[in-house]
Amino acid sequence: MGREVSESCVDSLLTEMVSSYCDRFYANKPDLAARRIEAIGFQVGLQLSERYTMERPRFSDHLEAIKFICKDFWSELFKKQIDNLKTNHRGTFVLQDNRFRWLARMSVDPSPENGDLSQDNPPAENKAAQATSMHLYFPCGIIRGALSNLGIPCAVTADISNLPACSFVVRIKA
Amino acid sequence: MDPANTPLGKMLLDEITPVVMVLSTPLVEEASLKNHLSFVQMLSPFCSFNNIDVPVRTASDQPYRLQKFKLRLFSASDIRQPNLEVAKERLKHFISQAGDKDDMFSDPPQISNLLASSESEIQPSWFQFFNKELVRTVSFSEHEAFDHPVACLLVVSSKDEQPINRFIDLFNTDKLPSLLNDGAMDPKILKHYLLVHDNQDGSPEKAAKILTEMKSTFGSNECQLLCINSSHDGPVERQDNPWAPYESDVSPSQCVGCFLNIDDSNEIKDLMQDLSSKHVIPYMEQKIRFLNQQVSATRKGFRNQIKNLWWRKGKEDAVDSPDGPMYTFSSIESQIRVLGDYAFMLRDYELALSNYRLISTDYKLDKAWKRYAGVQEMMGLTFFMLDQSRKEAEYCMENAFNTYLKIGSLSQQNATRCGLWWVEMLKTRDQYKEAAVVYFRLCSEEPLHSAVFLEQASYCYLLSKPPMLRKFGFHLVLSGDRYKKCDQIKHAIRTYRTSVSVFEGIMWGHIKDNVHFRIGQWYGILGMDDLAVKHMLEVLACSHQPKTTQELFLRDFLQIVQKTGKTFEVLKLQLPQVNISSLKVVFEDHRTYASPAAATVRESLWQSLEEDIIPPLSNIRTNWLDLQSNSKKYKESNVCVAGEAVKVDIEFKNPLQIPISISGVSLICELSAGSDDASSSTVELQNDDDFKNLITNRDMSSDNVSFTLSEVDVLLGGAETTVVQLTVTPKVEGVLQITGVRWKLSSSVVGFHNFESNHMKKKNAKGRRKSKYSRSDNLKFIVIMSLPKLEGFIHSVPEKLYAGDLQRLVLELRNQSEFAVKNLKMKVSHPRFLNIGNQKNLNSEFPACLERKTSSDPSCVGDSSSSLSQNVFLFPEDTLIQEGTPLLWPVWLWAAIPGDINLYITVYYEMADISSGMRFRTLRMHYNLQVVPSLDLSFQISPSPSRLHEFLVRMDVVNKTSSESFQVHQLSSVGHQWEISLLQPVHTIFPSQSLMAGQSLSCFFMLKSSRKSLTSKDKISTLSPVLGSDVGLGPEDSNQPLFDVSSSPLADFHHYERLHQEMSPQGDPNAVDFVLISRLLTSGDSETPHLFSHHACHCSTSNASPISWQVDGPQTLYHDLSASLCEINFRMIIYNSSDAVASVHVKTFDSVNTGGHLSEGTSSPSGNQSGWHWHDASVEKDIKVTSDVIGARVRKSLSLESVTPFVWSGTSSTSIQIQPMSKTEIPLQICVFSAGIYDLSNYVLQWNLLSSEGPESLEGTRQSSGTCQGYPYYLSVLQSS
Amino acid sequence: MIVCVAVVGHQNNPLYIQSFTEADDALKLHHIVHCSLDVVDERVNNPKKSGPTLNETFLGLLYPTENYKVYGYLTNTKVKFILVTTDLDVRDADVRNFFRRFHAAYVDAVSNPFHVPGKKITSRTFAERVSTIVKSFGLSSAG
Repeated sequence: MGREVSESCVDSLLTEMVSSYCDRFYANKPDLAARRIEAIGFQVGLQLSERYTMERPRFSDHLEAIKFICKDFWSELFKKQIDNLKTNHRGTFVLQDNRFRWLARMSVDPSPENGDLSQDNPPAENKAAQATSMHLYFPCGIIRGALSNLGIPCAVTADISNLPACSFVVRIKA
Repeated sequence: MDPANTPLGKMLLDEITPVVMVLSTPLVEEASLKNHLSFVQMLSPFCSFNNIDVPVRTASDQPYRLQKFKLRLFSASDIRQPNLEVAKERLKHFISQAGDKDDMFSDPPQISNLLASSESEIQPSWFQFFNKELVRTVSFSEHEAFDHPVACLLVVSSKDEQPINRFIDLFNTDKLPSLLNDGAMDPKILKHYLLVHDNQDGSPEKAAKILTEMKSTFGSNECQLLCINSSHDGPVERQDNPWAPYESDVSPSQCVGCFLNIDDSNEIKDLMQDLSSKHVIPYMEQKIRFLNQQVSATRKGFRNQIKNLWWRKGKEDAVDSPDGPMYTFSSIESQIRVLGDYAFMLRDYELALSNYRLISTDYKLDKAWKRYAGVQEMMGLTFFMLDQSRKEAEYCMENAFNTYLKIGSLSQQNATRCGLWWVEMLKTRDQYKEAAVVYFRLCSEEPLHSAVFLEQASYCYLLSKPPMLRKFGFHLVLSGDRYKKCDQIKHAIRTYRTSVSVFEGIMWGHIKDNVHFRIGQWYGILGMDDLAVKHMLEVLACSHQPKTTQELFLRDFLQIVQKTGKTFEVLKLQLPQVNISSLKVVFEDHRTYASPAAATVRESLWQSLEEDIIPPLSNIRTNWLDLQSNSKKYKESNVCVAGEAVKVDIEFKNPLQIPISISGVSLICELSAGSDDASSSTVELQNDDDFKNLITNRDMSSDNVSFTLSEVDVLLGGAETTVVQLTVTPKVEGVLQITGVRWKLSSSVVGFHNFESNHMKKKNAKGRRKSKYSRSDNLKFIVIMSLPKLEGFIHSVPEKLYAGDLQRLVLELRNQSEFAVKNLKMKVSHPRFLNIGNQKNLNSEFPACLERKTSSDPSCVGDSSSSLSQNVFLFPEDTLIQEGTPLLWPVWLWAAIPGDINLYITVYYEMADISSGMRFRTLRMHYNLQVVPSLDLSFQISPSPSRLHEFLVRMDVVNKTSSESFQVHQLSSVGHQWEISLLQPVHTIFPSQSLMAGQSLSCFFMLKSSRKSLTSKDKISTLSPVLGSDVGLGPEDSNQPLFDVSSSPLADFHHYERLHQEMSPQGDPNAVDFVLISRLLTSGDSETPHLFSHHACHCSTSNASPISWQVDGPQTLYHDLSASLCEINFRMIIYNSSDAVASVHVKTFDSVNTGGHLSEGTSSPSGNQSGWHWHDASVEKDIKVTSDVIGARVRKSLSLESVTPFVWSGTSSTSIQIQPMSKTEIPLQICVFSAGIYDLSNYVLQWNLLSSEGPESLEGTRQSSGTCQGYPYYLSVLQSS
Repeated sequence: MIVCVAVVGHQNNPLYIQSFTEADDALKLHHIVHCSLDVVDERVNNPKKSGPTLNETFLGLLYPTENYKVYGYLTNTKVKFILVTTDLDVRDADVRNFFRRFHAAYVDAVSNPFHVPGKKITSRTFAERVSTIVKSFGLSSAG
């Protein structure tokens, strides 16, 4: 029943999408491009969550939904679960994937000092980091779409302090 | 809370109370009727006591005190099962009355405040009464005892003669109600004797006498005297009239109880109190004791239980009639029931309950279902009053209810009553949802009642926590339908309107539309048409509905509207939808348009066209805006001219699938004459739909003096979208504001739409068409005084014409106004296609005027070239266009290339009088031509090998048309340095004089270059005057005159053609232009003959190989070969046509075949010229074409098999250098040994260009080295005799 | 037989409603489906009623109208499926099975990238699939 797609295809599709939005459609308007990519992810997440929540009881609270994202949803997408889930019990969740597939092929020097992007960085690394973050709007959108389809309006941001580990921060709109 | 204080509790304490049967004589009634009251009515108000405080003992001697107590008085005649039909009639009447009460005009309640308010506020007040009435319809049934009279009040008037006997025969059985006679109840009941004395009949002595008599007869304390009507001094006025409830059924003129003064009422009160406390209650109490003993004797105790059970079993196979066996009052069962009911009425609920329990099992065993149900019902109520075990209570009620229903229609009423009590019970416990369900189950085949029940059910859903609004709405709709069924339309409307609040703003269009539609319909039926229309409008644009529904909606809507007779004016009528974003305004300030097509052209295009003929913007402003007072505000508003229409294109869309007809579509405008503040405008238009306001507005627009509006009628097909053009023509100066558009839907409903409301949208949409200065408001126009306006058009512009077609057209410019215009300028977007002629060839004959004059007239050439200088055509200074005298001016149209051509023409003109609002205006014309290919012309030029500066011109003409056939007229070469001539007579070239469709033709000409040395400079400079040489190709017999390609317009067109076909920036030195002129062979020369000219420019004469040569020598010679071998000298003249030094190397071979084999490798410089050798050998002699050689020589070599070859004496190979554009010659020599014809073609000539400067310029045109095969050269040697 | 099936979005907006009767009672069915939403809300808001089957997608019999039975199904994404049937003895298993297949069809329909989430489902394939499911429901419950 479940039809499958080669991972490399998905990877290159993602890369292609990002590049075409950043460099072609909305070149020199990065925030706009980001929003568009995120929106695409949103719809994908919406529809995937529709599919992956079939045959399962409704979630009674937010935590359950988040857990679903971490476990089943993630393994449907990436054949692995989220490695680490933290929460402050006040509507903020941090989902960490120690080896995020879509960044695995990303050739950003994972040396610690370029971890904190705020610090003094040579522009090159900054650029690289930006390119990477561009690729993260899509998964962010997916998570947001899935959650909001489960009735949890939220904002999702990604943090790539130490690649290839990647952590998604979900802030649920109270 | 105390169940007694709950609504149900109150109801029960009201309804289930001891009944007192009143038997009275006519005279008694008569006396009481003086007060417009029946006797019972007179007493009733005093029958309920809130703290009667009577001590009672239960069967088990528990003392307790009764506080609340009530007696129900009925005259004997009323003690019977009420007639159902009558009851129904009464209810129906009552309901319709209630319907008339509530108002139809108030806005339907909002769901929010519905939720806020409490039950009593929401529900119509008459529900309670309705329910009570329904309950009463089943009173006095024999299967339940609480309606059975407990006591009997016998009343006799003191005026009756022999009152004692009257008392006796009052209570004789045949007058008594059936209950007592048919043994349903015990006929021996408590009797109380009352003597009524009317004080108006004198003093009560007589009465007192009778009383004593009575006492002696019936026992002292059973008799009493009541004096009434004791108010001697006129009617009594009293506040809080106890009889107020009865006032309804008397005419208000006579007050109720007018003769009863305070003593009377006190007396009555005492009487009733005494009756209830001293007689009724004790009597019941003691009866309870008695019955209780009976019951316990027969039924209590284990033995009795068994016996009873066994006995019942025995009765098992007794007949079971629908309501079980008949029980007389003496039967133990009825006694138990009576006991229960009495206990209930005296609030001894435990006792009541135990007895009910007891009896219900019996009835069940006996299958006496009705009685069983009745008992269950009472059990439920008792549980409730005991306020214990809700489950039990509800179970009992449900059980009773179902049982009643099971019995069938007979006890439908009982079921209803039971249900109502049950509902009350549930409501008391806030189980509104369940209550609603019960209401729903109450619905019977009686539609009216069902309607009421459903409505009540709906309110239950509303009140349930959390409220179930959808069900609320649904049940309202259901009940509405029921109401409608028994045409209680007002109720139907009420329910539906309430439901609207639920369905407001949900996406269930199907439901919403239906609700609105029905309400509309029903209002229509009631003739409240405004409301009807209001609701109908909601559903008009129901594109989501199926076609049939749409038709229905529209039809009914229109019916209602027509019924009303008046035309409704509706703001934002949804039919059709106005696509505001499509709004497009076309107005003419200084820019005027000759045709709508011209108006649609991009403004920027016009601007680019006009930029060099209109004065710069700044001084326009200073010129005409300063004439107006304050130019500040004019900057942001458009300018239009009085008397000239402003056109507005707007798009209407029909959302439905059915056609709708729209009439009288027109704009809504305000024109504030003179000063421009909109407040002083003719019509002020608010955004609300205030009818009169709009009607006045409509009238204004119809007979408005200050502007006129166009009206358009459209028929919109299903889902069709059309663009309507509306115009408003201001007549006076001022400020014109286009505020909206109005239309009439199928000539009954006027809809209109305000543009202002979505100002922003429109602005974006119009951004496209914005012209120079940006405006904040595109629908506001400054109207300036009327100006001259030119109208112009070109007569008979063909839509479709063949490429090369040359036509003379006439441009006509008219001026309607009385002011003249001057300083006309004109500019054409494609001078290549359209060219302004001059006045004189307007009146001359068309094709003739192009023919070559004997003396080419310089003036024509002159001014044409001057007008070309900058391609703006200036009309002569003196041209002044007056009113009524149109200016005609010739223009030349020439279809240069096939394709779709848009011609833009703009005419600039200035007002004769400076005082006018604008100084100048421009007229913009736009024409579209479709040019289809006709003749396809191509030239190939190759230098003649034999003659220098002579070229062979090959012309290929293909007729691309499908049908037309052309006659080639003449071929001209342009430029004085070229001279073209025929090679052979015309008829050989054109066997048929014409070129049929699809036919192709190729022929050759000789082109001579008549210049000595050439440099690119003077080539360019010698452009004009363009003289040329022509070759007539027409049939010789008719020597038609040739056309002059060197004079306008042909020259002009050729000029543009040259510019257009320009390939390299600096003209190619040896390029030549050709003009082929042909005519269309039209069967029957009806209209002016079509003249075609095709121009081929920059045809390069330079050959692929820059080297040309020619062998010069004797053709034939005589020689005595017997004497000696013959030596013959030749010379070869080689010309280097390139502009580089060439080195040439000539080789000769002595054998034919080597030459043959050598000829393989030769590069044939100028390619495909096959077919040339058709022409006769004479040509072949003097001109040789290189590639032809092979073919020719092969042919020859076959024929010359026998010939012994000659040998090249002299040098076998020579190499020389040749300067550019110069020639040299080298000697050649052969030896011949025998007579014969020799072909001296077996040599090759190898060349390459040394030091070719600027190779890039030569690139492609020629290669830098090559090898040429020798030409055949025939030498015939004859034996000299 | 199944009279009507409906898909209702999470804002209680009708996404798809299809009746399978010849009779012209579309309006009534709309009303019934619309009302059933009340019950769905009720079931969801105070789940003590549903007891053991807490948060199960299948909501069971919502309410019996005069001659219909209305079953409900609430997905995790707050999309409601409503089934209105006339036959009075329906095996729960059948209904569950029906809803499962219906849900699958729905998911495929909305996974279409050209489907705008929250808008009506206009896909023809979906309609066909649903009607086949409905038919098969008739058969399976008969057998």
